[in-house]
Amino acid sequence: MGFLLDLRIAFRSLFQHSRRTFFLASAIAGVTALLILLNALSTGVSETMIRAATTLSTGHVNVGGFFKVTSSAGGPIVTDYQKVIDAVKKSVPEMESMVHRGRGWAKIISDLGSTQAGITGLDIKNEPGFRKVIELKSGRLEDLAEPNTMMVFESQVERLKVKVGDAVTLSAQTTRGAANTIDCRIVAIAKDMGLMSKFGVFVPVETTRALYQLRSDTTGAIHIYLKPKFIPDVTAIAARLRGQLEKLGWAVMDADPNPFWMKFQTVAREDWTGQKLDVTTWEDEVSFITWTLTVLKGLTAVLLTILIAIVVTGIMNTMWIAIRERTREIGTLRAIGMQRGGVLRMFLYESLLLGLIGTGTGALAGAGLGAAINAARIHVPLSVQLFLMSDRVQLALHGGGLVRAALFITLVTTLAALYPAYRAARLKPVSAMSHFG
Amino acid sequence: MPTSRLFVAFALVLSLLAPSVAAALSKTELVEILKVVDERQRNQGDWRSLVYMEQKEKDKVDVAYEALVFRRSQDQRFIILFTKPKASQGQGYLRIDKNLWFYDPSVGKWERKTERERIGGTNSRRSDFDESRLAEEYGPEDLGQEKLGAYTAQVMKLTGKPNIDLAFPVIKLWVDKETKNVLKRQEFALSGRLLRTSYYPRWKKTYSESKKTDVYYPEEMRFYDEVEKANSTFILVKSVDMHPLEQNLFTKAWLESKSR
Repeated sequence: MGFLLDLRIAFRSLFQHSRRTFFLASAIAGVTALLILLNALSTGVSETMIRAATTLSTGHVNVGGFFKVTSSAGGPIVTDYQKVIDAVKKSVPEMESMVHRGRGWAKIISDLGSTQAGITGLDIKNEPGFRKVIELKSGRLEDLAEPNTMMVFESQVERLKVKVGDAVTLSAQTTRGAANTIDCRIVAIAKDMGLMSKFGVFVPVETTRALYQLRSDTTGAIHIYLKPKFIPDVTAIAARLRGQLEKLGWAVMDADPNPFWMKFQTVAREDWTGQKLDVTTWEDEVSFITWTLTVLKGLTAVLLTILIAIVVTGIMNTMWIAIRERTREIGTLRAIGMQRGGVLRMFLYESLLLGLIGTGTGALAGAGLGAAINAARIHVPLSVQLFLMSDRVQLALHGGGLVRAALFITLVTTLAALYPAYRAARLKPVSAMSHFG
Repeated sequence: MPTSRLFVAFALVLSLLAPSVAAALSKTELVEILKVVDERQRNQGDWRSLVYMEQKEKDKVDVAYEALVFRRSQDQRFIILFTKPKASQGQGYLRIDKNLWFYDPSVGKWERKTERERIGGTNSRRSDFDESRLAEEYGPEDLGQEKLGAYTAQVMKLTGKPNIDLAFPVIKLWVDKETKNVLKRQEFALSGRLLRTSYYPRWKKTYSESKKTDVYYPEEMRFYDEVEKANSTFILVKSVDMHPLEQNLFTKAWLESKSR
């Protein structure tokens, strides 16, 4: 009963000072909307990054490695990969699915242009996830099952000036350093998937083997996809798998949070020959671009800290003014029996209500604006794609995120009123009633 | 057709075939030619030269390099030190113990490269600046004789010997019948695709103290990319000096000191 009464007083007080309430609630709504949009942006970038990375270049956990023919010549190869797959199956019960892909780096030459690109060899029949995520602009993904075919992305088409049906030449060195070429036919052109799609093409795994003169029991890497609930544990799972593979007799490289292509120099400098496996996580394989996410999160944190500081100062000031204006009212309420706790609660409820109105409005506005931005499919230039990992602005608006943002700002606004409310509760009824001002 | 005319036609065909049949060389003879080609270029001592390289690539600005090349036959050591342009100044390749290293003073690090590395991003390889080892590395096959401008060339197909790592597994070689200078080379990929055609239009000789005879070298080399047709590399070898070099020259420390 007392709670409802306190709430009513708080509500009426807000209503009485409608102008002040409006401005404060608008400020809170603005901060909430901004928090929601910034969070949606960094979550969107993160989700796009995971989606693009786990489609294009990595599993959640990978078993790759290097095979060195001599101390200076070698390549990103896993030999006798079926045995590795068997070991992975036993060691990673959290696994949902697994694929193996060829890896390489080659020059692609068409009649009108050329480009350097990462070559990924896949078996399209065993890549349902890949087929779900890749959006085709022209051609057919199924045709990648045929030998010496290739899927490229839109941005590579600009450089190579090719269309579906055109032939290109792949030129690379085998693991022994001999020059080799292979002619491929473009069978599919996919829509860009951010920065990561600019440097990679896909060919059948047999084509990578033919280009690098590899045996049929070799592959580039085994990509392990985890059940969603285990994805946050990738680092621990990778560490465990590394240990298991070592126990089973494989030479395993030390954990190094970098993508495989950044390890060529380190591997070339070392004097060993033969096979060494390398266990990495998706975060390792895209570590060269995750800094953008760190920057984005850092900027969001700095911006929000400043905005929250402004809102907190605003609320505290407003409360001080309200207490000063209502000192006699407080004295009267105290004189007719309201306890100190009641006064404290009255002001806290006022701030809580203000917070709820402001954050509720802000959450709705933020969600609406975010949805509108997504619907507009705003295309961004290449320099911005570097940060967004996508060719358009994509915001991830999740219900949980909206509620968390609203509750967080409400909590902050309520806590901001705590000290002024405490000071109001400490006022003596007699001096409060005789207060003029 | 009357028998007499048939006979004349047969005789004509035989006479046309005769020179090529007569010119067909055995594998041993071809190996001997390759040995001569190698021997004429081998100086059995130290080598210093100034090299100019010009790289032309489609849709790119032409790049010109100037570099010093040092060689020591005894242990097959080798250095290329770039002196121009400014962006490449101080960069260098060092071959020791059959390992090719690249040094970039801007990062101060050594990178191990494969022997088949493109030098300075041009279409030239380490082997283009080094002593010729064709007889050691390849097995020849006769392809007859061919006129190449004013020269009569012995043409042969060279296939890389097993267990030797080579940039080009198959080479087609045109050797001047008279001088045994290489006139033209075509290099093929494992797939059989033609990758590069090289021309050696000018040969020079310099007296070598260590060899006690003349050493021949191509003063000009022109490499044409056959995959990316618009790309080419032009190399000029100047100021060849075969006097002994400093003992400690073929070391990482020496190259680093020259890069400062």
